[in-house]
Amino acid sequence: MIYGLSVNANETIEEIVKKSVIMEKLGFQFVWVADLPSQRYSPAIASVIAEKTKRIRIGLGLLSPFLHSPSQIAHSLITLTTFYGDRFELCIGPGDKDQLKRVGVESSKLDNIPKLLLKAKEEIVKELRRNMLKVRIWLGAQGPKILRLARFFDGVLLNYAHPRFVSWAIKKISLPSKYSVQVGIYAPSYIYLKKEEEPYQLLRLSSLIVATGTSNSVLKKFNLYDKVAKAKEELEKGLTPEEILSHYPSDFVEDFAIYLHCTELDGYLSKLEEIGVKHVVFGYPQNFSLKTIQDLAHSLFKL
Amino acid sequence: MLLDLGLTSETPASEFIKMFKLAEKGGFNCLWIGEDLEKPYDIFVQASIALLRTSLKVGTGITSIYFRNITNIARAAAGLHEIGRNRFRLGIGVGGIQALKKLGISPRKPLSAMREATFLLRKIWNGETITFKSEKFQLKNYYPRFGLKQKIPIFFGVRGLKMLELAGEIADGVILSGPKTYLQKAIEIVKTNARKAGRTENDVNLIVWIPTILISKREELEFAREVVTVVLADTPRNVLNMSKIDVEAVMEIKNTLKRGLNIAARLVTEEMLNDVVFYGDPQELCSSMRSLEKYGINEIVFGPPFGINKENAISKIARTWRRN
Repeated sequence: MIYGLSVNANETIEEIVKKSVIMEKLGFQFVWVADLPSQRYSPAIASVIAEKTKRIRIGLGLLSPFLHSPSQIAHSLITLTTFYGDRFELCIGPGDKDQLKRVGVESSKLDNIPKLLLKAKEEIVKELRRNMLKVRIWLGAQGPKILRLARFFDGVLLNYAHPRFVSWAIKKISLPSKYSVQVGIYAPSYIYLKKEEEPYQLLRLSSLIVATGTSNSVLKKFNLYDKVAKAKEELEKGLTPEEILSHYPSDFVEDFAIYLHCTELDGYLSKLEEIGVKHVVFGYPQNFSLKTIQDLAHSLFKL
Repeated sequence: MLLDLGLTSETPASEFIKMFKLAEKGGFNCLWIGEDLEKPYDIFVQASIALLRTSLKVGTGITSIYFRNITNIARAAAGLHEIGRNRFRLGIGVGGIQALKKLGISPRKPLSAMREATFLLRKIWNGETITFKSEKFQLKNYYPRFGLKQKIPIFFGVRGLKMLELAGEIADGVILSGPKTYLQKAIEIVKTNARKAGRTENDVNLIVWIPTILISKREELEFAREVVTVVLADTPRNVLNMSKIDVEAVMEIKNTLKRGLNIAARLVTEEMLNDVVFYGDPQELCSSMRSLEKYGINEIVFGPPFGINKENAISKIARTWRRN
């Protein structure tokens, strides 16, 4: 199993660098640089991490080709790889509908998102090839339509945490054996030795964001639609996730996040391994502090 | 007056690093990176690398507001501002019309778009929740999670009359380019409009970036003439009209260009050469660049094509500039 952690949420660049250096020392193989429209521009963050670390692989994403054009995404990768060598991977996906809408990208009005996404991936690959580069491209997926594209990518990062969702998604992908697509998950996480309130509240917030970004068909399938529908409506009205968080039950974290005591992590990872997951990205707020990163590393690598 | 270095984003990585290192060693003030939309590099990543590896100020000179979502420009600039600890400058403009067209972008209403872009960038960096709708920009309850404590200076890379007026009114600086006889008028327009907007002349940092060519042998003068030919052919008529260059003569050069660059270059007069580029040996070049100081120029960019040997040119100019 390969382990990574995501950065670039609410931290300053100084903090991101400090954390990335520690992650490398602790033995994480990946640092994933998130790229929401409300956060810092991930390719520039990736360059700082590459400059200050030596080996750790750096994932860019999830990047939405509806926010950055495919050529812009390719050019970021070409620049990073040219200056720092083969240390970068990319994850593309439709992106968070609510966040995109806030910056003028109405993905709900786009015709045939899976087709557009696939076209974007092909354009990125073409531009990379033109510059004689090959970069592993992951698909960031959640809903059934996007999951069907997995076979065209080098890997798929599922935005799910609970094994029942992951298992369902893997079945949906239904890859014939000739495809060598790696399966990973990328989910809000809080693995703790001693639970602290602040990261826990941030986990609730991240879970809410993932939940409201989940397609209605998936929510219905798992009997979660009624629980999430109102939150979706409120975001639609322009409220921020922070503003609506207090109205929602805390059990969102069980469905949409990895929320475990350190001693429970082994069991959880074994379950994932059994169903075919090979890459786990512990998302925000696991990177909340050096302590939360260290706690995770201690549990994973038995340091 | 300070000396800056200008590079374009198409510069290959190894050359890019060598050149900004030379600039730092030579005591240059700022590295400006011009975005070539058709070449495969990310100007913001390049800027980040230059900020990380030198103590120079670094600016985009310029990036088009039509090429990226405005929030992407804002958050890239915010990140670079942090990386460089206040050394980053954001140069924006409309960008090359032909290059944008090739990408399927037609820049509509550029004047309002530049005004709105400046307004939005400052709001975003201020950490405000923004709702804004115009033909070019649509933001709805957008909430950046990065408020900045210091201002990021916005430089306009513009040339037309209305754009220069707008720059005087709202920009923190202007990157001017064009014939020297045009520059004198352009500077005046910027300054006048700064005053009209209740600002002082010092509120607008004036940068001049025109081609510079170090010449060590007489034969290299032919190269300079060729550069002038290409530059003139690409200079908009409104800019030529503001200069002392004969527009009809430029049209003839443009038409002759179809028969070959060297043939068209023969039509370049001494007057054109002197007006369009800085050229000469290091001493002549530095004196001619410094001659613009009297118009209130704060920084001058030593930029492409540099001369036959680029690295050698940067080192020589740095030495001569320091001595003067």
